[in-house]
Amino acid sequence: MKRKRLAAPLCALLLLLAGCGAEAPETAAYAPAEEERLVIYTSHKEEVYQPIVKEFEERTGIWVDVVAGGTNELLERIRSEADHPAADVMFGGGVESLASYRDCFAPYACEGAESIEARFRDGEDLWTPFSALPVVLVYNTKLVRPGRVTGWGDLLSPELRGRIAFADPAVSGSGFTALATFLLAADGGEEALLRAFAENLAGKQLEGSGEVLGAVAGGGALVGVTLEETALKRIAAGDDVALVYPADGTSCVPDASALIRGAAHEENAKAFLDFTVSEAVQRLLAEQFCRRSVRGDVEPAGELPALEDIALVDYDVEQASGRRDGLLMTWAFYLGEEEEK
Amino acid sequence: MSRVARPSFRRRLFAGFLAASLIPLLACSAMLLQIFRLRLAADAERETAEQLDLVSRSLDGAFDAFSQAAGRLRGNPIIARALAGEAGEDTLVNNELFNAAGEARSYGSFALYDLQGARRYSTRRDPLEEQLSPEWGALYAAPEGGVRFTACEDAGSSGGPLLRGAARLSDGMGRPVGYLLISMYYDDFRQLLEGKYGARNELIVLSPYWRPVYCAQPSLAESLAPRLRSRLLAGRGLDDSEEGFQYAAARHEASGLCLILQRPRTFTGETMRLLYTVSFGCAVVCVALSVLMSFKLSRQMFRPIQRLRQGFGEVGHNNLDICVPAEREDELGELARRFNEMVEALKRNQEALVANQRELNQAQIRMLQAQLNPHFLCNTLDTMKWISKINKVPQVAVMSTNLADILRFCISPEEFVPLGREAEILERYIEIQKIRMSGAFSFRVDLPEELRDCLIPKMILQPLVENAVLHGLEGVENGAVEVTAREEAGMLRITVRDNGSGLPPELAVGRYRSRGGKHLGLYNVNTILTKYYGDGCGLFLENERSGAAVTAALPIRREEEETC
Repeated sequence: MKRKRLAAPLCALLLLLAGCGAEAPETAAYAPAEEERLVIYTSHKEEVYQPIVKEFEERTGIWVDVVAGGTNELLERIRSEADHPAADVMFGGGVESLASYRDCFAPYACEGAESIEARFRDGEDLWTPFSALPVVLVYNTKLVRPGRVTGWGDLLSPELRGRIAFADPAVSGSGFTALATFLLAADGGEEALLRAFAENLAGKQLEGSGEVLGAVAGGGALVGVTLEETALKRIAAGDDVALVYPADGTSCVPDASALIRGAAHEENAKAFLDFTVSEAVQRLLAEQFCRRSVRGDVEPAGELPALEDIALVDYDVEQASGRRDGLLMTWAFYLGEEEEK
Repeated sequence: MSRVARPSFRRRLFAGFLAASLIPLLACSAMLLQIFRLRLAADAERETAEQLDLVSRSLDGAFDAFSQAAGRLRGNPIIARALAGEAGEDTLVNNELFNAAGEARSYGSFALYDLQGARRYSTRRDPLEEQLSPEWGALYAAPEGGVRFTACEDAGSSGGPLLRGAARLSDGMGRPVGYLLISMYYDDFRQLLEGKYGARNELIVLSPYWRPVYCAQPSLAESLAPRLRSRLLAGRGLDDSEEGFQYAAARHEASGLCLILQRPRTFTGETMRLLYTVSFGCAVVCVALSVLMSFKLSRQMFRPIQRLRQGFGEVGHNNLDICVPAEREDELGELARRFNEMVEALKRNQEALVANQRELNQAQIRMLQAQLNPHFLCNTLDTMKWISKINKVPQVAVMSTNLADILRFCISPEEFVPLGREAEILERYIEIQKIRMSGAFSFRVDLPEELRDCLIPKMILQPLVENAVLHGLEGVENGAVEVTAREEAGMLRITVRDNGSGLPPELAVGRYRSRGGKHLGLYNVNTILTKYYGDGCGLFLENERSGAAVTAALPIRREEEETC
């Protein structure tokens, strides 16, 4: 009994001695204050977001914490964190994807919004467009004669049957945009077009949009459907690929950034959104990332045709995203039919 | 089970030793461990601080040189003119550039850009740096005065500059004409910092926003910088207990760069384990010593106690011949001696008790022997009585009747009889004696009525009276024997007096003391009284003026007391 009473203070002493090591991190002094922080979720590749984020930090003194991931994954995360948003800005993601998560975002009309082409802007300014991404056709320059592929209609030609690289629209955002664009641009009834296209794919579609260029450049496919930016990068890298803007019209859906509703660092987030559409960044996009600026005053780099010179269909983002499920179901039905054959 | 639970002396001793040795030992080793650890940590920290300071000063040297060079270039009219586009001789401009850069050229490359971001002059040729955007990065950030350093976007990827310092240049009128760009490459950093931070450590230079700038191993910077940055932003310390490294940070004020020194943990798990093992070993030795000491000491104290315990056990089993060795001089030795004395006293007492018992038994045996064949004697006496009556010899009839009564009284089974009855038997006896001695003496009994029912041992008065008659009245004319009973202080005192010659000298006056053989009657009575009633009772002798008086003293008891 007595020994027990003695043991308690002794243990305390030992613990005290042992516990002396723990202390507050001294490096906390280097950490930025809360008002100097910004948390960004981005689906852009590192080579795109890194220079922009670094430059933003240098210019504003705001520390940016970047969380990179897939568009849908990050949007789901934002929705699940809706009560206590961890992020301030969603940077990247096609507007069709963002449109499905409208309730997670707060409207913000960025500085210099008037310089952005009206067709890319959202009516409620729920997002700030970042770059314009026209859907294009690509072909292997060694296997396909120039001029052989000019528009969407050519994708139905029996010569290309089974040699078309097309990303699964259920997985790839650009694949879905491409399919919807195709339906708008090509002649014929929707059902018939879907059926004919599925037939010409011979039931084959790729798992992601990233595989399209590889399939065409490698010769596995003759023709592919992808985004202008992706195609330009591969062409710049020296692959035997050429791109064609479909003569029967294409869509130009931008990707965008959005201010997350209830963001902890709202002011910093707005500053970042302003920065993404600033002339400096937009020019960088055009010059280094093979992207098309959403600003009217930034010309596309190199020999890219101006957007006005490209035949465009009347693509309604809202409408397209509204009928996404139905369209995908029909597509899966016809494609499944082809696969069975 | 009870052995284990019983808090034995030895166990307590052991616990005491253990506590007295183990607790200070553990406390000491914990303290030493802690001091050792703190000391090592402090040493390492100091060393780290010194190294960081050295690195910082090296950087200071370079950045001082840069800012001096920038100051010289900023005011240089030849360079301003050349950048403004006016014709200038390239060699002249280059000379100015090289001279102004001076020794700072060994820390980085100097280049002059015009307002469009095209490189015009440089001390080193880097084809990737021909054209820079004045709207982006270093040129955009270039201040009017001083030099601003920014980390390059692709720091870490091979070849390119890691850090760029830019300054805006203007002509004499204050119009901007171009930029000065100072680029530090991997080799520059390496040359500047190598060997300044300890061979086992790694230095990572981070931008003010903790983006990697330089590390001797670029891959380390690439992998570590984001981790450190996220730890910093999460508000945790830079150290991670799972890594074998510790980090110290310092800010280089001139450039805003953060210097992170990575050093191997001074106190790794292995050293801790070693120290714990040593402590544990000490504790084990301590426990063993405690056990040993407690055994030794407890044996020293325990053996005498054990012997005493055994002695008590033996005494408990009535073995009084035990003797505990008492060779020690301390308290335990004394205890043993006292024990021995006690046992001896006990033994004496017991022996006395046994002797008493034996004597009592012998008296009883004698009494039994006296009762031998009494019925035959009684019957014979009765026959004699009748024969004497027939033959008209009345003395014989009286004597035989009295003798038969006395005999019956003697052989009756009860041991205690009322005093009255005893007196009656005395009368019978006296009748016989009077016939025998031809009535030469008188006999009187003075017995108060209230004492008649007092119980006394049977046949204790007859020997006294016989003594008085046979010895006291020997050769005395008109002898008289008187028996008186009195109550005195709760005691019954029965006195037999005679008017004879008094007690012989061998019978001392006072308390009767046995002198053996002679006076068997007195001896027997005294023995019976002391055996029955204790030493306080017995015979008291005295010589009076007119003869001897023998008094039997015994407690008063009556019938009802006897039964209970």
